[in-house]
Amino acid sequence: MTPRPFFLWKHLNKLRWMTLVSIFVMLILIPYLHVYQTFLAAHAYDLLLPEEKQLYDVMEIITRPFVNDPEEQLDAIKGSTWSGTFWGFQISDPLAVVGQIAGSLKLYWPFLLTALVPFALSALFGPFFCGWICPATLIYELNTNLGALLRKAGLHIGNKRYDRRLKYVVLLLGSIIAMITGSAVFAGIYPPAVIGREIYYAIALGGFGSGAVFFLMTLLLDLLVARRGFCRYLCPGGALYSLIGRFRLFRIKRVIENCNDCAKCTSICEFGLDPLRDNFGQECNNCAACIAICPTDAMTFYISPRDVAYQGPGQLGPRYRRDMGIEDAAA
Amino acid sequence: MRRRSFLSWLVYAAGMLASAAMPVVMSRALAPAVDTNRKTHLRPPGALTDDNAFIASCIGCGLCGEICPPKCIKFHKRDGGSQVSTPYINPEQKGCTLCNKCMQVCPTDALLEVPVREVDMGIAQIDRSACYPWVDTGICGACVSICPLGNSAIRFELWNQYRPVVQQGCVGCGLCVEVCPHPSLPIWVVERSRDPVARHRVSGSQGAIPF
Repeated sequence: MTPRPFFLWKHLNKLRWMTLVSIFVMLILIPYLHVYQTFLAAHAYDLLLPEEKQLYDVMEIITRPFVNDPEEQLDAIKGSTWSGTFWGFQISDPLAVVGQIAGSLKLYWPFLLTALVPFALSALFGPFFCGWICPATLIYELNTNLGALLRKAGLHIGNKRYDRRLKYVVLLLGSIIAMITGSAVFAGIYPPAVIGREIYYAIALGGFGSGAVFFLMTLLLDLLVARRGFCRYLCPGGALYSLIGRFRLFRIKRVIENCNDCAKCTSICEFGLDPLRDNFGQECNNCAACIAICPTDAMTFYISPRDVAYQGPGQLGPRYRRDMGIEDAAA
Repeated sequence: MRRRSFLSWLVYAAGMLASAAMPVVMSRALAPAVDTNRKTHLRPPGALTDDNAFIASCIGCGLCGEICPPKCIKFHKRDGGSQVSTPYINPEQKGCTLCNKCMQVCPTDALLEVPVREVDMGIAQIDRSACYPWVDTGICGACVSICPLGNSAIRFELWNQYRPVVQQGCVGCGLCVEVCPHPSLPIWVVERSRDPVARHRVSGSQGAIPF
């Protein structure tokens, strides 16, 4: 009996989708809560418009079981995945720290420390932010599914491949531009920052900004040119997280005793990696999609600072039997 | 002869044009226009005074806007150029209530925590040629009654209990601009180095319109 991976690993992908959806829902809820707080602070329920009264009532019903003093206590959770505060504990994206250091050319320690938790977690789990938290990932993966549907319908969807190192160049160029102009360049070209901001603008400030156009362009890029093209080739945040998690401890590996060379893992991988040939590399964000799709339980987690070398063909596959000179049982 | 008549016609036409333009020129030159240094895009309280340093430090996370109770903090969009997604307060739409939540929530050093009375957003300036009590067309006192800092920021004049006078304690929150009932907003926020009494451009009247 060959060793089977821990049975819950197969369900991690569902947990990941639940995480992504709940974070997206929170991003939509926070601006509504802010509008509700504004109504509360103004003490002007009777002056509200009918739809504003409706929003007020819904938010009151949602928050009443949890808070006694909504005007103050709802301040506990604010922000987006770019930078947020949770009960006074601030967490920022490491890319925000890099961009701010490049822009202002000085170190501000309180801000650096807000990126400590994401930094440590990325050093352990690799770029898990891309697969598990990033609000853009939810939309990008749905966009990938839309592309698959369109392909099934017979439309020609581009799937070009470029050099994966392009995003490190974007990271470097963005830092240099931030140094020269002294402005937050990454905040405008980094999809999670753009999405968090645009949702807030659209709900609380009455309209999308220019970032919405940028995000639609990235969706079109993914759909028409390259699958998950922005994340694979252009995203500066993914590049930074990949660099931080280069020697991550939690990795996915293929168990060749169970593998039958079906290549479903390679085709499902959103980042164009090649689990079938043990090519995970630093871009693997432990999203566990390959574990979930593997029909023979040949994918598992293991703890090591580097990937295993190519292990050869899977032992359940035809190529292994041919190489070893084993007679095909069906023949 | 023909040339001479043409020249005289030219001089005549020029004189006519100049005399026709004279009222316009004179009214432009002598109009009591106030200086146009009013700030409509204030930075939130606690912001770095050097605006370039502020733009370099701001990461555009929008936390200050999300926590602002009166929702007065807006964000530069495409109009802002390099300041895109940085916060501003337009006191003509909504003034800051100096609750100081934005500087507490800001993760970077763009907004630093300072006491309420040491906030530097500017100073209010009053146009005494338009403000209702100053021109004796009514009693008002809206700016004085809304001011969160009380008598140290704006108070009534000693001899006329409805004429507002801005004091040096004003931090430029802009609440008075928001509530001013005058359609032309004779109160506004300027940089702190300026005089809190609006000066006019008419030559000879150094300082305020005499009262």
